[in-house]
Amino acid sequence: MKSIIQLVVNGESVEIAVEPNRTLLQLLREDLGLTGTKHGCGLGDCGACTVILDGSPVNACLVLAVQARGRQVLTIEGLAENGNLHPIQKAFVDKGAIQCGFCTPGMILSAKALLDTNPKPSETEIRTAISGNLCRCTGYQKIVEAVQEAAEVIQSTEVS
Amino acid sequence: MLLPKFEYHEPTTLEEALHLLSELGGNAKVLAGGTDLLVRMKLNIDKPTHVISIARIPGLDAIVPRDKHGVTVGAGVSAAALSRHELMMDRFTPLALAAGRLGAPMIRNRATIGGNLVNGRPAADLSPACMVLNAKVKLKSATAEKEVSVNEFFRGPGDTAIEPNELMVSINVETPAPWSGGSYIKLGARKTLEISMVNVAALLTLKSADGPIADARIAFGAVAPTPVRAYGAEEFLVGKEPSDEVFQQAGEIGVGLCSPITDHRGTMEYRCMMIEVLTKRALKQALERAKSWKP
Repeated sequence: MKSIIQLVVNGESVEIAVEPNRTLLQLLREDLGLTGTKHGCGLGDCGACTVILDGSPVNACLVLAVQARGRQVLTIEGLAENGNLHPIQKAFVDKGAIQCGFCTPGMILSAKALLDTNPKPSETEIRTAISGNLCRCTGYQKIVEAVQEAAEVIQSTEVS
Repeated sequence: MLLPKFEYHEPTTLEEALHLLSELGGNAKVLAGGTDLLVRMKLNIDKPTHVISIARIPGLDAIVPRDKHGVTVGAGVSAAALSRHELMMDRFTPLALAAGRLGAPMIRNRATIGGNLVNGRPAADLSPACMVLNAKVKLKSATAEKEVSVNEFFRGPGDTAIEPNELMVSINVETPAPWSGGSYIKLGARKTLEISMVNVAALLTLKSADGPIADARIAFGAVAPTPVRAYGAEEFLVGKEPSDEVFQQAGEIGVGLCSPITDHRGTMEYRCMMIEVLTKRALKQALERAKSWKP
């Protein structure tokens, strides 16, 4: 039986009727058309579906839509402001941290969750933070460099 | 990967949840973090007609210190919360370390201690850690409540002492004695998103900073149908002066207490060798922490 849930997605309140077996990933992609969140393995192994739920990165494929009732969800679509890329997005572009792009939304959100709580992470902390996001193109090095650069940019803009 | 259909229940009190469990029993599965259950449902391994989410029951996700005597960890506490908790890191080190090695960051944000124990997987990260801390799990049904030592909780792969009408509500752990130190080592082919090939938790208590061993506890995962305590190796250590030699001997005794199998993660022979090496390493790390124990 469907139930009506209310949640906040990228700052906007959403009210929608969902079946209990619908995942948060399906809700985002199929009901809301937010296809930036990718469907990879569907089993919590690859991290392509990473979204930030109440401040913590989670695999949207392993969260029921009904479990997100009343909660805040941030997807990759919610990062840019007024058409300007978020510093992490910009650093990924500048550093060539994107190849096929399938892991990128998840990578960026994992990086954002890290930098929100730890603005000056070490390389090990960065690698741990993205350890649940699999990338089959880049070898991770450029992704780590992009997160380092984003951390510096965010730091310097906050100081000035 | 689609989820099959089921009826969903979202109780907001413990009483309501226990009532649902007593009514639905074997047809229902409890949903906590969902990192195991939803995977098993997607793969058609578990086919519950009812799913009872316990995420909206207040208090299940709290870590409550009981004076200096111990701590009560709600069954719904996430692995991430355990791994970051200062008291857990300081006094209940094996559990905090094991929680920090479970799955990957996104999994740790959802996976709960209760779920990890109730699943009864032989390679679970938190089981050996809870065992060396002599944790007791509190199981509640609509009509009764009981406490079971985690050392007697596991019966076989996926099989534990919990009944279908019971809910694990908390895990009670006594604070280890002064001059105690703990460790947890997980061996796999990767650093993350890994199911252990062998894991070892250890807790070592000294009589004083440079005294002999007053108490030792060692538990292994992924080397038998259930996680196992190495009681024989523990007894061997008590009363001895800590040294690489006695730790090595404890590891050799430990191997004899396991019955590992050969599978795609590793061979029986390799696992046996690793039990020996990792026991020694885990005891050395526990010793370092015990020596630097602070009141």
